[in-house]
Amino acid sequence: MISFSQQHSIVAFRNGQAYRRPEKPCMYRTRRRGTVVRAVATENLEKSSKIIASATASFPILVNGCTGKMGRSVAESIISSGLTLVPVSFSGKENPGGNITIGDVDVTIHGFKERETVLSSVINQFPDVMVVDYTVPDAVNTNAELYCKLGVPFVMGTTGGDRELLYKTVKSSSVYAVISPQMGKQVVAFLAAMDIMAKQFPGAFSGYHLEVMESHQASKLDTSGTAKSVVSSFQKLGVSYDMKRIRKIRDTMKQLQMVGVPEEYLGSHAFHFYCLISPDDSVSFKFQHNVCGRKIYAEGTVDAAIFLHKKVQRSFLIFYVIYLLI
Amino acid sequence: MLSLTLSGNCSLLPRLNNRRKALFFARTKRTSLVVSALTREKVAISQDAMADSRNLSFPILVNGVTGKMGKAVVEAAVSAGLELVPVSFSSADKPARTLEINDIEISIHGPSEREEILASVKEKYPDVVLVDYTVPDAVNANAELYCKFGVPFVMGTTGGDRPLLYKTVEDSNVYAVISPQMGKQVVAFLAAMEIMAEQFPGAFSGYKLEVMESHQSTKLDTSGTAKAVIACFQKLGAIFDMNEIEMIRDPEEQINMVGVPEEYLSGHAFHVYNLTSPDETVSFEFQHNVCGRSIYAEGSIDAAIFLHKKVQSKAEKKIYDMIDVLREGNMR
Repeated sequence: MISFSQQHSIVAFRNGQAYRRPEKPCMYRTRRRGTVVRAVATENLEKSSKIIASATASFPILVNGCTGKMGRSVAESIISSGLTLVPVSFSGKENPGGNITIGDVDVTIHGFKERETVLSSVINQFPDVMVVDYTVPDAVNTNAELYCKLGVPFVMGTTGGDRELLYKTVKSSSVYAVISPQMGKQVVAFLAAMDIMAKQFPGAFSGYHLEVMESHQASKLDTSGTAKSVVSSFQKLGVSYDMKRIRKIRDTMKQLQMVGVPEEYLGSHAFHFYCLISPDDSVSFKFQHNVCGRKIYAEGTVDAAIFLHKKVQRSFLIFYVIYLLI
Repeated sequence: MLSLTLSGNCSLLPRLNNRRKALFFARTKRTSLVVSALTREKVAISQDAMADSRNLSFPILVNGVTGKMGKAVVEAAVSAGLELVPVSFSSADKPARTLEINDIEISIHGPSEREEILASVKEKYPDVVLVDYTVPDAVNANAELYCKFGVPFVMGTTGGDRPLLYKTVEDSNVYAVISPQMGKQVVAFLAAMEIMAEQFPGAFSGYKLEVMESHQSTKLDTSGTAKAVIACFQKLGAIFDMNEIEMIRDPEEQINMVGVPEEYLSGHAFHVYNLTSPDETVSFEFQHNVCGRSIYAEGSIDAAIFLHKKVQSKAEKKIYDMIDVLREGNMR
């Protein structure tokens, strides 16, 4: 059994020779493993959600894709943050039938063909409704066209599809939207910090050696886009590194024993580890960001929806003020 | 062109065998280069960007070679292909006449000879850049001396009267890099955290922070760098009390728990910051671990090269810090 710390003690490859760094039993690592285990929303989470909700006027949100895991998770976060979940959703199937229960809300699932009529009537009933989309890559563009046609602001959480067309559709319709492939707000903050550091201080880490390891659920076949983004910042910082060297861990045994992923999150996690070592080995920088489950993305999506709502409200306010002045 | 030959002793510490090999490779390179520096030849090093160092070579004087940082800077200077002026100063009235560092003989001069020696150095090497690693008590007097003779300098020594230091330099219009933290990459990391805090205040609201730092046992106070990083995380919304910083000073714990290599117990700076989300499903961890003095010596050389460039280009701005050096990009 090799621990996570031992695994990335097999770190540097110098002049073609495998170089094993000394094992460093680190107190903090044991602590971290213990703390990541608990996954249930704690009182703290509910408290912080209520703080957000009480500071923001509640508004209705329709989650397109409630039947999926992300959609359901976002719907739960919406309810726990005190916003209004519109009890309607859509499915890619023609006749999905039935309802699903999320929290204490009964959500009716409508088929693909009913989207336009149902969404129109939702907008009539809830004029300040916002849509959150967690569907599938194939539906991204048609969904965006629908939202733009009906003029409803939306948060696009679904990745993939034709991204250029997506932006084009939104721009030509003047609809408000938040589009982001990464909804983990804090991960985005970290990525942005690395990017800003790289732009401000090019070459600061020249000559440094880099090792990268990432672990995701086995169903994720491609290499983490987030890892690639961080690596590209390090490259601007003067580190020479080939993206192919990113170590992808997809074997569940290794994930459990080596990486330290809690068993209940084997099916949904995103662990990233980066290690920068100076040419003479006397200095090292290590960065980790480890996510279990989907909560961070659901919370980030709710933050995005609240942000967008404020933008929309502000524009209405400006128009109203102008109207009063005329 | 100097051919690199592997010679010298290789430490036989089994645990750090491979790490030692890598370190040894770096040191041998420096030893070979130092030999040629004795004869004052400009050293052309055949590795990537170092090939251009011929154009970047200029005279450098290190004040404080009798100290550990001073010695480390001398080694780094020669390694970088700079021309070491074989002269230094000491606060002792009658110091030993010479000091040998890696086969270079540096003559040490006492306080009474300072002005005379510095004046003649400036005359012989008009484009000399000085690096100061002395003691806090000498900071202001030294700065006055350098300013009097118009010698651009890198102030690596901490302490002294800092406002007075800046005033002295401003009044004299001399070029200087002044920075308490010469670890360039640590400064970059700290700046990145500051930028993140400034741009995204509250992004980590509700997150819990844990901080551990380890330094040599002689360092009694808490790491200033740790405090600066924590301030950023607090701006980001993390919950933390400065009293909660865990300071590790016991050598046993440093070896077994923190993982500090034994030979660096008396000179290291390890920092770990751990952020955990309220529901504990997300964690971020940042570490910066420094062994020895190499990073500060290398950073000082980067600062000297940067300053030399500014002097040559007659830049308008005169006083710089490590952020300025970082913004300039890689100069080697």
